[in-house]
Amino acid sequence: MPAILVLDDSATMVMSLSRILKNAGYEVETASNGKEGMAKLAGGLKPSVILTDINMPQMDGIAFIKEARKAASTRFTPIIVLTTESGGQKRDEARAAGASAWLTKPTEPNELLTALKQLLPSK
Amino acid sequence: MQFDAEAGDNLVCAVLAAQVAELRGRIDTGAAVELLWQTSDVLSQLSGLVVELAKRCHKSDGDLSAQCNTAVAAEIDIRRSLESLAFAQAQRNDFTCQTVDCVVTALGRLATSDGARLSPDDLAALYVSEEQRQVHDAATRQFVAVTRRNGVERHKREGSAE
Repeated sequence: MPAILVLDDSATMVMSLSRILKNAGYEVETASNGKEGMAKLAGGLKPSVILTDINMPQMDGIAFIKEARKAASTRFTPIIVLTTESGGQKRDEARAAGASAWLTKPTEPNELLTALKQLLPSK
Repeated sequence: MQFDAEAGDNLVCAVLAAQVAELRGRIDTGAAVELLWQTSDVLSQLSGLVVELAKRCHKSDGDLSAQCNTAVAAEIDIRRSLESLAFAQAQRNDFTCQTVDCVVTALGRLATSDGARLSPDDLAALYVSEEQRQVHDAATRQFVAVTRRNGVERHKREGSAE
């Protein structure tokens, strides 16, 4: 069962994303900011895909992506950005940092699951 | 307690920041979203029971079995809609909280008594969504229009007084 690491500082968003992903058959690990996400990765978590918000306290999504790309275990892990930001500048920053895909809130569960399936490594 | 005009302005900003921060706590409870997810879970459990009932009465009561199958199909549609609604609500909450955070931060900066100013560009730098930027632009246009109109009216009044 593929594992997804979800990073969002909104508890309500984390709960909703976890439900949607678990109902779709994924294992889910969560973190409320980039720092916590990096700690999970350093602790040995090897997610198949990472789903991250941009605007988070302590370490934002773009800083997290940069850090994750430095780590050998997540250098090539697909990272989807899910954020209220729709501006081109942030999108360019995220792409330059190593983001694989970008979804703007509000989005639909199906749109999210389709993006995940497209990025999951085929077995 | 008496304050001079500047301290009074700072205090008003500090109080408004506290009021809005208090409001944020109420928005981000997520209770409605959680209830939607719980409802979805319960519907799923009930649907499982109805499927079991349909299996057991398949031969003895064909009508009941057909009704069970109809109910299960309806449940799938409703559960999908509930999940979309819960996700949409969670995202709306998130957007509202981020907008409120921006207002709290801006008011907090205006409340400082070190003479620091918050320019429109400083404010725009706090935004986290395109919607906030659109509201900012619309409010700026409105402000400019009102300021111009007031300026023209003042000019007319001063002209007629002379």
